[in-house]
Amino acid sequence: MRIAFCGVGALGSNAVLYCRNLETELRLIDFDRVESKNLAAQWFVKQSVGKNKAEAVRLQLANFYGRKAEALVQRMGALNAAQLLDGCDLAVDCFDNQDSRLVLSQAARDRSLPLVHAALAADGSFGLVRWDERFAPDREDEAGQATCEGGEHLPVIGLLAAVLARTIQDFVARGDRRDYMVGLSGVVAT
Amino acid sequence: MAVLNITYQGHSADYDLDIDYAASDADIRRIAVEVIRSGGVRGLHVAQLADNAFANYVVDRLRSPQGEQRIYLRPKVPFGAAR
Repeated sequence: MRIAFCGVGALGSNAVLYCRNLETELRLIDFDRVESKNLAAQWFVKQSVGKNKAEAVRLQLANFYGRKAEALVQRMGALNAAQLLDGCDLAVDCFDNQDSRLVLSQAARDRSLPLVHAALAADGSFGLVRWDERFAPDREDEAGQATCEGGEHLPVIGLLAAVLARTIQDFVARGDRRDYMVGLSGVVAT
Repeated sequence: MAVLNITYQGHSADYDLDIDYAASDADIRRIAVEVIRSGGVRGLHVAQLADNAFANYVVDRLRSPQGEQRIYLRPKVPFGAAR
């Protein structure tokens, strides 16, 4: 089984970390570069700054855990989404904007590819893990809206990433497709 | 009969929505403000909650595996990454 992580920023990088023991192939897709401010809430180290995020996660998995992964340094769009997902059995949406999520959803539906989304509120108080058949992406209040620049949301990001990783683990093991809400009062299956 | 789950400031709680009409999203937001103000939702009592507290919230309507209708009033979740 091959899993495509679409976006390896805050949620994606931490979810990949928690998925490192899965006996699957991992494909990491991200066009962005690591900035020093990303170290506050994303699974990157100082040596990653300036590198592409997908490549940085790939290197960290290899160097820290001897875990292989494939890094694709591309921005997903309508024209290349099918190519980026080719050969995958599960897609994981950790994008940070509605447009990219819509492109990914359409590409996954076109291929009947299972897709699970993870998404976080701007104030870091709430998040969702939800399978595509029950998910509609929310638009940010303004384009490029920032969240968590100081790392204050890291505990909730970590919790949401862990729930996402467990959701992926259950899908890999048994084909389960459970949805969850994650808040400050706990994790609730929905 | 449906269950309304409200998430506010990171905390979630259920409320039995005992109404016999198809509530609109605006109805759901208004009801949520009223029941939270009144203390009708366990763990979510805010007496001075603003009228527009949920103006920017999303209403999801889902059905549980047992067939129960569940309505979720929740904050928007646009992010997967911190910029």
